[in-house]
Amino acid sequence: MALLAGLGGLAHLSAAEGNDATARRLLAQAVVSTGPAQQKLLAQLGDSGSPAVRDLLAAWTRDEILIYEAPDGSHVPVVLEEQQDAAGKARAVRIDNSQYLADAQHHELRFASGDLNAGDSDMRLRGAIQQALDSLTLADPDPDARRSAAVKLGNSQKKQYIPILQARRGREPDAAVRKAIDESLALLQLGDADAAVQVAAITRLAELQALGSVDALRRAVAASPDPRVKEAGRRAVQSIEQHISTVNFFGTIFRGISLGSILLVVALGLAITFGLMGIINMAHGEMIAVGAYTSYVVQNVFGSGFGFHITLPFSFGGQLLAFGFTLPGLNATGWWYESYFLFALPLSFLMAALAGLAVERSVIQFLYRRPLESLLATWGVSLVMQQLFRMVFGANNVQVNSPSWLLGHFSLDDVSFGYNRVFVIAFAIVIVLGTWLLLTKTPLGLLIRAVMQNRDMASCMGVRTQRVNMMTFAFGSGLAGLAGAFLSQIGNVGPSLGQNYIIDSFMVVVVGGVGSIVGTVCSAFGIGAADQVLQQVLGSPVMGKIIVLATIILFLQWKPGGLFSTRSRSLD
Amino acid sequence: MPNLNDTQIIRRGLLGRIPARLELIGVIAAALVVIVVLPSLNAFAPEGSAFHVSDFTINLYGKYLCYAVLAISVDLLWGYTGLLSLGQCLFFSIGGYALGMYLMLMIGKLGQYHSDLPDFMVFLGYPKLPAHWVPFHSFWFAAAAVIWVPGAVALIFGYLAFRSRIRGVYFSILTQALTYAASLMFFRNDFTFGGNNGLTDFKFIVGHDVRQPATQRGLYICTGLLLLGTYALCKWLTQSKFGKLQRAVRDSENRVLFSGYATANFKLFVFVVSAIIAALAGALYVPQVGIINPSEMTPDKSLEAVVWVAVGGRGTLIGPIIGAVFVNALKSWATRAYPDLWLIILGAMFIVVVLFLPGGIVSIPRRVMARWRRPEQPLPPLPTPPVEASADPAKTSPASSAS
Amino acid sequence: MKPELILTVEDVNKNFDGFKAITNLNFYLEQGELRVIIGPNGAGKSTFFDLLTGRTKPDTGKIEFGRRIDLTAMNEYEINRLGVGRKFQTPSVYVDHTVYENLLLSLKGPRGVFSTLFRRTTAAHRQRIDALLELIRLGPKRDWRAGQLAHGEKQWLEIGMLLAQEPQVLLVDEPAAGMTDEETHRTGELLISLAGQHSLIVIEHDMTFVKQIAEGRKVTVLHQGSILCEGRFEEVQANPEVREVYLGRGHKDR
Repeated sequence: MALLAGLGGLAHLSAAEGNDATARRLLAQAVVSTGPAQQKLLAQLGDSGSPAVRDLLAAWTRDEILIYEAPDGSHVPVVLEEQQDAAGKARAVRIDNSQYLADAQHHELRFASGDLNAGDSDMRLRGAIQQALDSLTLADPDPDARRSAAVKLGNSQKKQYIPILQARRGREPDAAVRKAIDESLALLQLGDADAAVQVAAITRLAELQALGSVDALRRAVAASPDPRVKEAGRRAVQSIEQHISTVNFFGTIFRGISLGSILLVVALGLAITFGLMGIINMAHGEMIAVGAYTSYVVQNVFGSGFGFHITLPFSFGGQLLAFGFTLPGLNATGWWYESYFLFALPLSFLMAALAGLAVERSVIQFLYRRPLESLLATWGVSLVMQQLFRMVFGANNVQVNSPSWLLGHFSLDDVSFGYNRVFVIAFAIVIVLGTWLLLTKTPLGLLIRAVMQNRDMASCMGVRTQRVNMMTFAFGSGLAGLAGAFLSQIGNVGPSLGQNYIIDSFMVVVVGGVGSIVGTVCSAFGIGAADQVLQQVLGSPVMGKIIVLATIILFLQWKPGGLFSTRSRSLD
Repeated sequence: MPNLNDTQIIRRGLLGRIPARLELIGVIAAALVVIVVLPSLNAFAPEGSAFHVSDFTINLYGKYLCYAVLAISVDLLWGYTGLLSLGQCLFFSIGGYALGMYLMLMIGKLGQYHSDLPDFMVFLGYPKLPAHWVPFHSFWFAAAAVIWVPGAVALIFGYLAFRSRIRGVYFSILTQALTYAASLMFFRNDFTFGGNNGLTDFKFIVGHDVRQPATQRGLYICTGLLLLGTYALCKWLTQSKFGKLQRAVRDSENRVLFSGYATANFKLFVFVVSAIIAALAGALYVPQVGIINPSEMTPDKSLEAVVWVAVGGRGTLIGPIIGAVFVNALKSWATRAYPDLWLIILGAMFIVVVLFLPGGIVSIPRRVMARWRRPEQPLPPLPTPPVEASADPAKTSPASSAS
Repeated sequence: MKPELILTVEDVNKNFDGFKAITNLNFYLEQGELRVIIGPNGAGKSTFFDLLTGRTKPDTGKIEFGRRIDLTAMNEYEINRLGVGRKFQTPSVYVDHTVYENLLLSLKGPRGVFSTLFRRTTAAHRQRIDALLELIRLGPKRDWRAGQLAHGEKQWLEIGMLLAQEPQVLLVDEPAAGMTDEETHRTGELLISLAGQHSLIVIEHDMTFVKQIAEGRKVTVLHQGSILCEGRFEEVQANPEVREVYLGRGHKDR
């Protein structure tokens, strides 16, 4: 994540480089000057919009800018590098030109932290620096940063920010940030002594439907003796609160749908292996993890490469058994690096399908008539796989970076839609449609359905049931792998990733009705929505989950076969 | 060869059968060694002598015996009734928690905070003891709770499950969900059971110092007696007409149902009995191990107990005991010798047993004998038996048959 | 005087996800009657048994036992305890139990959990089982495990288990499947001998067997979930409609 942010930052930097150089010179002057001149320089810095200077200003407030008195009597402001040598000394970087400080013979000078005096700073100066810093943040190239800066200033209750915000308002290109600045301005004006200004501010906040202003409005209403303020405030609070509940409602629905999509993606593979084949694959969760780890490996191959090495605690002819391999990295950058996810998706499917194939051939093919034992044996498989993940990738979570096109969100009337969540919904729709088409419109689908309905009969009709079983199981596992690739974008990837989803997946399939894809879809969205609503109402994710589980058990009293049960008329 | 269904495994006699007299002699001998000889050697043989049994060993064996009782409860359900419960550890833990609550209150002011409240309550800022904790000052109340709380939970869940005819893998999945939900609940701090740290730092049990070797020896003997009692009870249960019916439910539930038996009641009875057995094991486990926390009731722990039964031999009473002791002894050794590989060993063992040794360890002698007696005569081929409807969701499609 | 009805089925309908398994079915069985139901595959014969035994509930209509006991409100074991026994299409015995134990578990008697725990098997029970073993000719195999029996023997065992329950009504689904001609014939004789004391409904495909047990009796032909025709075997045989849907194929068998 940090890496991507860095990459994003670089592009802006190169454009602002000239700007930075000027700003640094201004700062160097500001440090050594005093009085009104200093104030003026700081104001200029605030308007410079240079991100590099921001860190230095922050350093100034921490007294980390030091003054070097040159032999010629001039004062040079510097900061010391973090890296110290054996004597505890570090090189000094000049503020004005970002070069290392050197003497006349071009020898770099080194100082311990006590060697130099800090630039003077008093309360007033600190205030001015802070103001410059805030203005700088308001001029940040990232609109999100500008917005949060504006919100922060709005909540500061300090009137001196009004002119800064107004100045920025005129130059701001981004509509969302302009709205945030308007809100902040109105919030600050709320504290005005003039009732008319207050009423105007209240009206403005109500117009803007400013979600964060309810507390401030209440305070203003309580503090003001003026009935006009009280009345306007009361109405504004009412209107905004209504808006908040609408936003929460749609937000909950959206989160419910996206959680439902995640459940659906995760459970769809299980609906195939459990629902159609009757195999209780407890290693389904590990198939998900295979997909997630595949994304991780693909990401690393696009980056600096991937390798692992395991030493087994056995010796063979005096030699410890060890194995491992290394994949060289492509060291890709920019959009090429970010496109890794597009390669990761099919590879995740493929790897998980291969893993599924291996499990089917080695274990499951012997257990088609023994569902309980297939549950037990695949649990054994799941233990082995989890441990292998630990040995290869380590016991800790690994970091999978999201491509930038999956980060961030867009807002629609204050309801925010994360791109990754929107993507998961679209993704769920695509794979459900794909699965449905495969099962109903292709010859393979016909074979799969034939074998699943009556294995013996299909076999008599000349269907190569073994192959169909293999393909079906591999397909179900591949779907789990896709789910894993997706989960790697929204959560942590660790050896027990699959364990977090396995019980939920089973619940989705059981509630939906075994063997029914439509049922799986309905139950995934039903459980997802119920979970989110309960979480909202109870304020606790765990209690929500427990209630959902309890409800499922009671639901099965009413419909033991699930939502879309295919009722049986055959007895034995 | 491994491609058999349950009926075939039973028909070919692949499950172990132990000659009755051999079993009786074995049980009496083992009971003597476990309950009388080992504790005596621990108490009376001087330390350093070849016959001395260390306190550590007694403690370790006590743990194994608890596991053996738990394994029998799993087998009573799975091996005899065909109900694979993945929630037995929930009952084990509830039993443990019930006694653990008593043990917590017995700490008194000796805790870290020198308060009447258990340490975790002080730490979490409880003003006073929650009302449902108060009666646990009494040992007998706690002992009764060990029985009735898990019994009631099993009764309610079992009633709901069996009434709606949830069976086969659905039952397994639901019991797994039940124990999962319970563990989530117990992990919460505001559930008043100590959150993820659970209950620990016990000091006294009915006036005796829990950490004294003599107390531990007493607990060990109690566990041995519990195992013997459980064995005897289950022996009687499974040999009565009830036991025959239990296995009939396992093999052909419809036939039993259509013979006028309310199979749900029979299953419910077994479910409650085995929940109580598991809870008793849990109650004796806690003072010997010194801690109970929610990780004991995660679905994985229940599955591990199923492994013991599978490895030992389901459908017998000796099998689970052998399996529990064998697997746990192996675990003790392997987690020290090859800590990274233990899970792989466990998983692989499970796969191998399910595939190649469905009758577990106790079926080995029978298999060897069968091979030795008739080396050239393989078992006669059998007609393909019908696949049970409940076992195969694929069969429940509407098109399959309408005659 | 007309004999009393033991089973009354009126206007029964049953749908499975839109598939009409049973449509407007009316069916009456008299005390002591032996009725054979024939019909092609998918005619709804097994569904009919499911409805009678409580496994499936009808969507509409009434099913009554004897004098106004409503069977639609009862479940499988309650109906069985009333005296309705059922033999399944595929023999359903306890494979892990001996022949003797199979019969023991089926003997009429209290069916509660605690009675199975504490009741002892009496000499009378053993005599009854011995008599049944004699009847189903499995005496020499009484200690065999049921899983080891041949298919036909299992069918016999299941009939024996049915008789052990001493039901008033026996529902017998394809008893002759998997039997040799001789065994089939003997099964027929057994069923005929049971008629009178018991009431029986037999579903069968094997026309030779049907002829043996249904000669001179009433036969019901089911087709697409409702009764195509009902009458004496000879009449039904001659019915052109029946010949078309069913016997047209059956002719070759005879």
